[in-house]
Amino acid sequence: MTDAVADDPTWGQIIWGQFRRRKLAYASMWGVFGLFLIAVYSPIFISNKPFVWNAGEGIESPWLMTLFNRSTYENAIDIFFNSLLFPGTALVLPAAWLWRASAVLPGRSRVARRRRIAGAVVGIWLACLLGILAFPVQTSPVNHPRVEDRLTAAGTPPLAIYPPIPYSYADTDVKLSSQGPSLGHWLGTDAAGSDVFARMVFGTRVSLTVGLFAVAIYITIGTLVGAVAGYFGGRTDAVLMRIVEVVICIPSLFLILSVAAFITERSIFHIMFIIAAVAWTGPARLVRAEFMRMRDLDFVSAAKASGFSRTSIIFEEILPNALGPVLVSATFGVASAILVESTMSFLGLGDITVPSWGQILAAGRNDNSWVLILAPGLAIFLTVSLLNLLGEGLRDALDPKLRG
Amino acid sequence: MLQYAVKRTLWMVPTFFLISLVVFALINLAPGNPGQAGGLENVGSGAAVQSKSVIIFKRQFNLDKPVLVNTRFAMTRGDVRGLVATANALGSTPTPAQRIAAKNDLEDGGQYLVRHLVALLDDADPAMAQLAAQYLTSAASLALVSETAGDPDAARLENRRREAFNQSFTGWACPGELAATPCLTDARRHWQGWWTEHHAAYEYTPAESAWVFLTDTRFAKYWYNLVHLDFGISAIDREPVLAKVLRKLKYSISLSLTAILLAYLVAVPVGVYSAVKSGSRSDTVLTVVLFLLYSLPTFFTGTVLLRLFSQGTPFAWFPVGRFETLPQDPTTLGWLVDVAWHLVLPVCTSASVALAALSRYARTGVIDVIRADYIRTARAKGLEEPVVILKHAVRNGMIPILTLLGGILPVLVSGSVVIEVVFTIPGMGSFLVESITSRDYNSVMAVLLASAVLTLVGILISDLSYALVDPRINLD
Repeated sequence: MTDAVADDPTWGQIIWGQFRRRKLAYASMWGVFGLFLIAVYSPIFISNKPFVWNAGEGIESPWLMTLFNRSTYENAIDIFFNSLLFPGTALVLPAAWLWRASAVLPGRSRVARRRRIAGAVVGIWLACLLGILAFPVQTSPVNHPRVEDRLTAAGTPPLAIYPPIPYSYADTDVKLSSQGPSLGHWLGTDAAGSDVFARMVFGTRVSLTVGLFAVAIYITIGTLVGAVAGYFGGRTDAVLMRIVEVVICIPSLFLILSVAAFITERSIFHIMFIIAAVAWTGPARLVRAEFMRMRDLDFVSAAKASGFSRTSIIFEEILPNALGPVLVSATFGVASAILVESTMSFLGLGDITVPSWGQILAAGRNDNSWVLILAPGLAIFLTVSLLNLLGEGLRDALDPKLRG
Repeated sequence: MLQYAVKRTLWMVPTFFLISLVVFALINLAPGNPGQAGGLENVGSGAAVQSKSVIIFKRQFNLDKPVLVNTRFAMTRGDVRGLVATANALGSTPTPAQRIAAKNDLEDGGQYLVRHLVALLDDADPAMAQLAAQYLTSAASLALVSETAGDPDAARLENRRREAFNQSFTGWACPGELAATPCLTDARRHWQGWWTEHHAAYEYTPAESAWVFLTDTRFAKYWYNLVHLDFGISAIDREPVLAKVLRKLKYSISLSLTAILLAYLVAVPVGVYSAVKSGSRSDTVLTVVLFLLYSLPTFFTGTVLLRLFSQGTPFAWFPVGRFETLPQDPTTLGWLVDVAWHLVLPVCTSASVALAALSRYARTGVIDVIRADYIRTARAKGLEEPVVILKHAVRNGMIPILTLLGGILPVLVSGSVVIEVVFTIPGMGSFLVESITSRDYNSVMAVLLASAVLTLVGILISDLSYALVDPRINLD
């Protein structure tokens, strides 16, 4: 491999260069990344478990010990993000160092090395996550702030260092219900006495998870259906497109709400699957069109002539070339999935056990409280805008006509 | 053109059939299905016999039938014996959930169980025989037909006949805990006499089995009624659902149409302006503002507008929610003003969603046209700029946005859920949410199907209008 070939910009590098020129979109990308960081690191700032605690029985760290405790973090979403927080961060730092160190390697071996690093990080993290999920920790929860109050009243205050906001989103306190913003509760409390700021921040986790996972599911389904329909054409295409047509004709929000309502004890995962079950038609049509356009091009004929199998022609030859528009529609899809989820929880048809922004807004509407309306409303608006701007930038970057 | 329109309209029928199939299957097969709807929620594990009203409710809404295909005719005597044993914990210790499931199966099995239950009367286990006699009473009894649809007199007559039939074998069951031999012998004698007279109705030839397989199901019954424009009755107030939906549709459509009108009235000039000034600062600002507007969730916009302008913080300019105040003013003009007054906020909220997309399309439409040769020709022959833009560019640039009209209507109807709930307008959307929360499953189906029809019509209109407006498209 000569250096000249290695230094030729790849397609990805061209797109990346185009994308970086679009300042607003580039900034939005960092904004979305920031939201992701907030979602991952929220327990560091908001938790009712002290980092350090000594009530006369030795120093312990309830915060760390309860990170994967299913009675403190009831939701699988929280466990997922906590796993990104703890083994995740610890893995990313050395990986980043190895990544930089590999910069001195020549072209192809650098790519191979980096691919191996990324694989190792994801592999180890996945193994940790599976381990955590397979062996759930479930001890009886200790209410540390309340124990501290009791001990202080008894004259033996414990040593306790809390995160800056010492509440959990699930804490309720009837004595503190429906209060306005104050120094202790930055955005006040809701009718159940929960800290609204804590619920808002943990709501980021819910929104991002719903958006990303629902889209991941339906992009996969849609791409498969579209690839098969577009590549084979004929009767297969006719049957699949008829199904797509049927799903498109049912107003999606109506269908999503009705199906969701008939599920007893619906969880946030049900909601992701319902959104995915309705939305897969978009990418299916997109991918089908791309496949129809490309299946008769020379490179496909060449692959056929070289005796490649059908699967490898579909997945290794055509699909990578069709992914651009899919990526764009996925970005817009995350935004609209977040909107759909918050609409559902606003209407009271979401998962009531997770702190969702739509749910906070509905509570604000009932309580007639400006803070509870504006905070989640603006949060949704910000997230959706960032994602839409990002999608817009990606679309422009992928459009060869706009390349300057 | 006409041929194309007719063909497309006819295609809507099979599409509609498939839509109803999909919607029906999704709602019925979702975990926690509508079989637990309405009055059926308090089925406790301790209840030995479900209340009679529950059974009547189930039969009235066809909830005792299987969803898509019926295989009950293929049950064997062994199956039924197993069910009876499980439901009553005879000789085994099933879990409460298994017992309830078996009990439901026995109740829902109805006529398909009769021949096996008659045979079980001679079972070696007297307890089993006694239970079979008890189940026979409900299994053999006929469900009453609906008296609200079709010919009510004939239905009433038929129901009287069925009631007499059902009456004929009350008292044959052998109630009580222990098998009393004389009672059981009587039951056996009664039922066997009855069986020789009626057995033909309960035995299935292969042809009959095939017929039952497809037709004695919830979906088949539902579709049969649908073809007769009978959407069933609401589980809440027993009112025919179709009438209800049509009444609600009036509110939703007037809301959506006004919103569309407003959105077009604003979007077209805005789009043309930004296209003409394309690349300027005002274009950029407009684009960004509209883009941000697009990202605002409607429930947020609606809630904020409602609070700002009608709940008195700070203003109380508009009425709080609803479509109209009570008709104090009987004159048409007064009523119109009243409705318009109520609709200002919801229409603005609804239009804000469509606005961004529409003006974007208008902008691209005009920009595409403005670069065309004939515009250059128009300018070259010395026409004034406004004439060039308004007469030549806008006319052609509006083709794509006009054809969007058909597609936007269903989107707005679907989006009306949120707006109607926020502004408490009694339209389709809030009706859907109401029906959903009370698990009124006929109403949910009717709303979904009505909106699907709207969508189908919308797509048809947009395809046809495209062909009408754009002579380049050849359909035949």
